Amino acid sequence: MKRALALSLLVSFALWAEPPAAPERRNLRVPFWLNDANPEPLDKVKVAINAKPAKLLRVLTPKEELVLLVVLDWATDLTMVDPARQEFLKQLESLPPNVHVALLRAQDGLKVLADPGTPREDVAKLVREAAVVGRAGLLDSIEPAQMLADAIAAKAKVRLAVLFLSDSTITNYREDYTNPVVNSSDSGDMSRRFPEGLVQEKIKQLMAAVLSRETPLFLVQANSQQDRVSTAYLNGLLSLARASGGAGELCRTTAEIPTAVARMLDSIQTLGAAEVEWQTGKSRQLQFVVAAEGRTLYHQPRRMLKGTRP
Amino acid sequence: MGAGLLSWALLSQAQQRNPPSEVQKAVDEFRVQARALGLTGEGAKQQVKTVRSSRGRWHGRLFHNFRNDFLDATPHEVAQRGGEKNILRRNQFGLNVSGPVVIPKLYDGGRNTFFTFTYEGMREKIGRSSLHTISRPEERTGDWSGTVDNAGVLLPIYDPVTTALNPAYDPARDVTTENLQYNRLPFPNNRIPTTRLDPVAQNALTYYPAPNSDAGPFFRNNYFVFAPEINSANGVIARVDHTAGSRHRVGFGMSLSNGQDGAPALIPTLANPGNAIRSRASRRGTLEHVFTISPTRLNTLTFEASSDRLQNKPETDGSGRVFPQYLFSPYLSMGRSTPDRRSSRNTFVLVNGHSVRRENHRLRLVGQVIREQVNIFAPYYPEGSYRFSAGITSLPGIVNTGHAFASFLLGMANFAEQTVTVSPSYFRKTRYIASISDNWEVRKGLTLSFSFSLDMNTPRTEKYDRMSTISLSEINPVNGRPGALVTAGHNGYGRSFQPFLMKGEPSMGVAWNILGRTGSVLRASYGRSYSPIPIYSSQWSTQAFNGTPTWVSANPQLAPAVVLSQGLPANRVFPDLRPEAANNTQADLMEPTGRQPTYQSAGISVEHGLPAALVMTLGFGHSNGRNLLLNASNPNAIHLDALEYRDQLNDENFNRSLRPYPHYQRFNVYSAWPEGRYWRNAAYVRAEKRLSQGLSFSAYYELSKQMDNYSGPYGVQDYYNRQNEWSLTAGNNPQRVTMTYNYELPFGPNRSFLAVSDWRRYLVDGWSVSGSTTMVTGEPMALRPMFNNTGGVVEALRVNVVPGVDPHVAARGPDLWFNPAAFAQPADFTIGDASRTHPSLRMPSSQNHDLSVNKRISLTPEKSVEFSMVGLNFINHANWSDPDTLIGTDASPNVNAGKIIGSRGGRVIQLGLRFSF
Repeated sequence: MKRALALSLLVSFALWAEPPAAPERRNLRVPFWLNDANPEPLDKVKVAINAKPAKLLRVLTPKEELVLLVVLDWATDLTMVDPARQEFLKQLESLPPNVHVALLRAQDGLKVLADPGTPREDVAKLVREAAVVGRAGLLDSIEPAQMLADAIAAKAKVRLAVLFLSDSTITNYREDYTNPVVNSSDSGDMSRRFPEGLVQEKIKQLMAAVLSRETPLFLVQANSQQDRVSTAYLNGLLSLARASGGAGELCRTTAEIPTAVARMLDSIQTLGAAEVEWQTGKSRQLQFVVAAEGRTLYHQPRRMLKGTRP
Repeated sequence: MGAGLLSWALLSQAQQRNPPSEVQKAVDEFRVQARALGLTGEGAKQQVKTVRSSRGRWHGRLFHNFRNDFLDATPHEVAQRGGEKNILRRNQFGLNVSGPVVIPKLYDGGRNTFFTFTYEGMREKIGRSSLHTISRPEERTGDWSGTVDNAGVLLPIYDPVTTALNPAYDPARDVTTENLQYNRLPFPNNRIPTTRLDPVAQNALTYYPAPNSDAGPFFRNNYFVFAPEINSANGVIARVDHTAGSRHRVGFGMSLSNGQDGAPALIPTLANPGNAIRSRASRRGTLEHVFTISPTRLNTLTFEASSDRLQNKPETDGSGRVFPQYLFSPYLSMGRSTPDRRSSRNTFVLVNGHSVRRENHRLRLVGQVIREQVNIFAPYYPEGSYRFSAGITSLPGIVNTGHAFASFLLGMANFAEQTVTVSPSYFRKTRYIASISDNWEVRKGLTLSFSFSLDMNTPRTEKYDRMSTISLSEINPVNGRPGALVTAGHNGYGRSFQPFLMKGEPSMGVAWNILGRTGSVLRASYGRSYSPIPIYSSQWSTQAFNGTPTWVSANPQLAPAVVLSQGLPANRVFPDLRPEAANNTQADLMEPTGRQPTYQSAGISVEHGLPAALVMTLGFGHSNGRNLLLNASNPNAIHLDALEYRDQLNDENFNRSLRPYPHYQRFNVYSAWPEGRYWRNAAYVRAEKRLSQGLSFSAYYELSKQMDNYSGPYGVQDYYNRQNEWSLTAGNNPQRVTMTYNYELPFGPNRSFLAVSDWRRYLVDGWSVSGSTTMVTGEPMALRPMFNNTGGVVEALRVNVVPGVDPHVAARGPDLWFNPAAFAQPADFTIGDASRTHPSLRMPSSQNHDLSVNKRISLTPEKSVEFSMVGLNFINHANWSDPDTLIGTDASPNVNAGKIIGSRGGRVIQLGLRFSF
């Protein structure tokens, strides 16, 4: 009897429908990107939100202007940084003219080194001169970088992406995510049996922010370590990039770094965006499906509209 | 004014004709937003101030972890004995805060100066239980009429006063009950008359507890200890980072921790033989400067100072004296070693690293200086240590007669020593390391790395030259034989006894993306290294200044070394720098050549990325070492050929005459004699799945084999034939599987199920599960004989292998894990022929499963509460205890040999709450 009661309570809880929502009309931008070298233009992009077709207002194709915010998070190791630096400089030269690169630095809080209007050669000079100093700043830069990009997207009809080039390790942050032993005499300490807890907490916090924003994050992480805390950190970075609609590359050797940088920039250049009109209900959780005939599109899977708590 | 209006009008017209492009709009908005968010150079600090105060940018957490015995399962080993859980109260709490340094009205660190501060405290009370064997009350009054041996047969106690030479003794035959060398009468009715009981021993027994358990068998395991252990700790870690310009970063870090390591009292009196309660204090400070000379050139300078202090809290009587130590195995002893001890280990490390990137090379040069200091005052036995053996109450030459506790009752110790520590020791040593390494990208996908370190070590010195050792080349004035005490700074000896050491340490490695594919990586490496000779936290090798006078029985079966009621003979005065000052003691011997432990390792692995975010690694590693520093070494051991002298070996003078340096007993090399060798081969496979669908996991399997000549577990049988000690490493688990996983449950907003966003999200969202599992096969089994009648020649006797008898059993289980009939007690004055660890018998395998369930509730975007429940051995799995590996004689077999008695383990739970802001 008790079991049946508990089961019925559980089922009713699970099936409890949310109250009907007040309709609200909003324009949304849903970025997407391709992972192929097919030069054919995109055809018939369709967007569905929460399994319902959304009214398509406009599609920004890969031919449109792209503002790329490149965030340098170089603080640990010249061995990792230099291959990324050289490859980025090489790619920078060959980027098409519709790509406008802004350069930022993650150390000691996100800082602008060059705005998107800066000539390429000046950007290249700044990249060449970028120092490897300070503490890792990637986790602290994700939110402001996305805020900046989202604000631009609201004003200008350009494609936007954020690319992080990082060699950060979880041990090199100013804030302490590794939960180091404080009292070495405490032999009964169980709180560090699962040492990745603090990293996961930070990632969950950032995830809530990323899910409320639209600019995709791309990431090349040059320093891949394999201990448990580092694994949680790297997994977290990948999940943040995917949740934003972007992608991440973890390099296991220095030889992989140039390839990863090139691959990320190739993907970013295929970036597009669909602008749709959506009539929201009370539920502000959106689930996207973006499709184009004959093509595989990568995009943000879910978004939490602002005004809701994660 | 007019010109300004005109230009504004012209600009407006121009903009109407050429409205700004989308890119220009984007650039303009970028600039506006960058200023607003405080991301631009000069105005940034000010902007940030207007948006949020510096203090508002502080983050951190408060946490509390809680354990109580009501959350835990009753350990299997306790439940099987019918016992109950031990008391446990544990609270661990603390806070962490980090952010910009702000000193009101004085300094706002803004982006440049950042701090992090962590405090953690712990209070713990934990009940400890253990089972021991102590003497029965009847025995204490001299009544041994009910005392039996391991097989349940009456154990006869003999009266040493009745000892007389056996006129019928035939030296050509072995000593047996039919051919006794000495006649000795048992005490009538196996009772020692009360008038014969030593008064000092009787007084000591007033501090000895009564039995309180009858676990058995045969009156054994009759004392169950259930005592609280109270531990506490308080610690702080603080760090400040300051960035000066774009090229300098300075960091300062410090940590301090004070704690008390409690120890359960095995005996609730001054005679407690358990560990002393110990207080700890550690201090650590770090200063770091990182200078980016150019984008391809980096210099890092670090200085670290640390100090770790330990102090035993002595328990003393009214006159300030500690209890002497009385050892009468197999019964629980009385008193402890080092009841009063103070030590501190200070380390100062200065490191400068310089990294340069040039074309395809990354060079790194490192210089390092490490200064170590150990200051210690640690008298082992200030009131003396007395060791009692069965010999004096046995029938001389006949095993399984007499008892060490009966010898204690008579006050007849076969060995005694007392530590006279005049002054603390202040040891010093310095290490210098210079290294160069190169990481060379030969071509795309192929990286080679090389490094070479020059490791230089000064030998240990003492601040006031209060250091001594035995020189094996000096002539002892007492007997004209080699071996005499020498002291630092005297008679041509320098401040140290070992040379300055300098070794080159090469290593190389390759990382190759196979056939240019980034998904597959082949790695190979080789390295050779030397480890320095450490300074141990002991006053070892100061014997001329802090002596340990020793009294040894001339024949432990015939005469005591000392009698308790007569006290210890008068001591010498220290310092005593005479060459013969260490004669007749266990002399401290420092290895003079300074041979360093040498390690080599090589490995190869292939890492391959697979679909579904899976990475597989297959690898093989080999490592070996030689000159490993051992404690189980004795350059003054008696050669095993001497076993032919049989019962004569019980005569201390004769026994000593067989030693290479007969004026000493054994040498104390204090874990610093370079004789150890090992090799290890291991193949492994690792699978790692990156996060997808909320799940990540890694699994690791290793198959290994390790051999060595030192790992015991019971000691060395033949010091002169280390090759004979070569066998499987005790403690090596041939197969090991470890798995870790993390799963974020797919419930809640923006997840696959129950995507509710009203109040119910607080219930369904934020659940995650982490776990780890370890499974290992058992380590090699080591068998040992019940008796060791080798006249003190063999310290760790092995068993004999019975030819033709299979040691394995068909249905292995707790009733019979191995066949004890396959092994036999060696005959008196012979060594065992079994290997140190058995080549195929293994202890039972074991497994452990830990789980952590977490629930996070987000209060605001930056504030959250997380509840956690950590369960160690959460499935409450019972691992079998090890089987009894003691092999008895035919006449006195060990009835439990081969059997597993009980299992161990139990679920342990910790609850935690963390508020993050």
